[in-house]
Amino acid sequence: MDMDKTRTLTLGITASAPYMPVATSFVESAAIVFGMKKEEYLRLCLATEEIFLYLSNFVCPGKALEVQCFNGFYYTRVLFRFSAVELNLSGLNIASTITPAREPDLDAMGLLIASRSVDHLDVAAEKNNRICLTITKEKAYPAHSEKLNLPQSAEKISTETPDAERLKYFAGFAAQFCDSAQRPAFLTYPGKLVDMVASGEYNAIVALNTKKETVGGVLFCYRTEKIVQCFGPYCFCKEQENMICETLLEACLSKIARTRALGLLSISGLPESLRHNFEKLGSLRYHEEGKAPVDEFSFYRLLHEDPGFEVWSCGDLTIYLKSEYRRLALAREIRTIRDMGETRSGASLFAAEVHRDRRAVTLRPLWPGNDLAANIERHIRFLRNDGFLNLHFELDLGIPWQAELIPILLNYQFEPGIILPFAGKSDIVIFEYNDET
Amino acid sequence: MKPDLDLLVPAYVREFEPYIPSKPDSELMKLYGCNRLFRLNNNENPLGPPPGAREVIGRFPPPKGAVYPSGDSYCLRREIAALHNIDPDQILVGNGANEVITFVIKAFCEKGDNIITADKTFAVYEWVATFSGIEARVIPLIREGFDDQAMVEAIDGHTKIIFVCNPNNPTGTYWSKDILTNFLDTVDGKQIVVIDEAYFEFVEAADFPNGMDFIERYPNVVVFRTFSKMYGLAGLRIGYLAGDLNVVDMIRRTCVVYSVNGIAQEAAQAALQDNTNHIQRTRDLIKESKSFLCEELSRMGLSLIVGEGNFLVVRLPGSDTLAYRKLMHEGVMIRPMTGFRYPNHIRITLAQMEAMEAFVSALKKILH
Repeated sequence: MDMDKTRTLTLGITASAPYMPVATSFVESAAIVFGMKKEEYLRLCLATEEIFLYLSNFVCPGKALEVQCFNGFYYTRVLFRFSAVELNLSGLNIASTITPAREPDLDAMGLLIASRSVDHLDVAAEKNNRICLTITKEKAYPAHSEKLNLPQSAEKISTETPDAERLKYFAGFAAQFCDSAQRPAFLTYPGKLVDMVASGEYNAIVALNTKKETVGGVLFCYRTEKIVQCFGPYCFCKEQENMICETLLEACLSKIARTRALGLLSISGLPESLRHNFEKLGSLRYHEEGKAPVDEFSFYRLLHEDPGFEVWSCGDLTIYLKSEYRRLALAREIRTIRDMGETRSGASLFAAEVHRDRRAVTLRPLWPGNDLAANIERHIRFLRNDGFLNLHFELDLGIPWQAELIPILLNYQFEPGIILPFAGKSDIVIFEYNDET
Repeated sequence: MKPDLDLLVPAYVREFEPYIPSKPDSELMKLYGCNRLFRLNNNENPLGPPPGAREVIGRFPPPKGAVYPSGDSYCLRREIAALHNIDPDQILVGNGANEVITFVIKAFCEKGDNIITADKTFAVYEWVATFSGIEARVIPLIREGFDDQAMVEAIDGHTKIIFVCNPNNPTGTYWSKDILTNFLDTVDGKQIVVIDEAYFEFVEAADFPNGMDFIERYPNVVVFRTFSKMYGLAGLRIGYLAGDLNVVDMIRRTCVVYSVNGIAQEAAQAALQDNTNHIQRTRDLIKESKSFLCEELSRMGLSLIVGEGNFLVVRLPGSDTLAYRKLMHEGVMIRPMTGFRYPNHIRITLAQMEAMEAFVSALKKILH
């Protein structure tokens, strides 16, 4: 994670329970300075307390720990970093305290409890054998309420990078005129959008008519190192929808054409008229309590030539991959891993990216081990018991050992949902848990 | 202990995405499952080098591989100088025209400076500036051509170089003699104006200016030429720049000597001495293939951007990068144009009829 150093505060501390108040005071002070309201920073402190104690007791007791607070403008992020050398990292599995023999011990459920106080929790492996555990708390913003009039005409339009006031108008129009299923929730909060763009994580382009009225807009951000995700384009002038959306898409592509981005992804809000510009990757099904499941379709386009490369597979997934790569015309050499009876040791570790608002968890394998099946079973049981309705598992097909998980995932009712080209070391395949079958 | 690259590497280098060249043909054919491949992506000359250059390449004595070449392309510079009637010291030869772009930016720009070029043009000016920590101001094309007025308006006290690709790759548009003269008069010698004439030898339009003719009157003009296109020596990597004696003397300070290999120097010299009508034969081939493609593609209802040069651009009804992959499966390699900021467009090198027919047939198949 490449964070702006001027927006980061760092505390060096030992992972030891008596030091816990030092860590929480540090996080509280930083969050106040970053503009978090009382309820927001108290929840962040609560999560910090849980995580600090958990790390001190179970994961890296007595070891050096770096606590960082990052000002993301619309959120505060706390990062806990420590060296993974000589540690048994299995305790970082979100479901680590669950055994088949007994129910979880609440005192040892630090990670999950922490996740309940914040918006996102994630664990990631970093360079130099470091592990980073991250919690994020977003700020609350007032929703758009003003009644806006539709722009009159858009026969001639221009595009520009909007300033804060124009961004607020854009969010207001989007909140008022676009179907909520077709736009991200953050567009309901104009102030939040302004902060998201100011943070540098999101970019916006708006379309203006000759009267300088906002007639459309598109947002985009890096989803992974190489993949840009776009939101929209959105149009507020139905008569010229095709032209406005085409112009906005072209402006977006021009902005990212000569950057490190290799692909553009759209998950929500891609107008019908623009779909011929993209390739349909497939869909992931999202469940919500008391509602019918919704299929979210992903659209994608590469920005450059596909150089082709090898991917690793195993068992039945190979058939799926062959079929998908043929459909998407992607050049891939599918290699199959083989179990030749070699010894596997140690406990595996999965990163868990928790999104409480969607009751969704995305798991990613960080470390191999000899307990892959047991670890998957534990995660499913634990997360389902905690009310998570949407479980996804991401495998990087460029990392051979991750292919060992394929037969296990298929066995535990995970099904391949979509392939994200170039999203990891090579392509990423996202499995979704489906216990309806 | 591993080096901390975050500390050691400047941010503008860390954040720059390295260009990934395509794999060798044999690898691509294996990956895409095709048994022949027409390369229509790099604007290479399908006729290859002129006969004289072929002979030089064929008879190059292996023991000479152990001997350093002329460090400053001594003989070749004399040949080029004679061709343009200028002093050999007004010329610098590089390992392809890409290298001379680097020489010029290194010679004139420092932190805080900027260069100006177009948004939809040869990418290397922008790349070299960006990974050197220099701002690249990219001005939108107007009617598919360089916007002289907007470029002048973008100039400020930190602008050091203006790159004009004439004719422009990929649109084939060009500045006439009048536009170029007017532009140079407006710039008034305050910035270096690079006129990249990589496709000069393909142009037949009467009002197309020869940049070499401007050097004497406008000493801030630097002209680029290459042997990669018309002369069919892309594989040997050789190109050159020409300019005012004092300007080139400054650029020479950033020029890496011995970067141009011996075969390339000799082959380039032989190419300039060609008396077999290589240029005309190539032009005839381009004319025939251009006419064929324009007719076929128009009949398919596709809109084209056609100008000077050995290439043309087609607008597709969908993604250009998807078309690239599908065409690769059919054994035809073209250039998708999203990276040139022309999404849904592809550029095709004008080549021999067999390749043109294969391309049209494959395109019909994938668009069907």
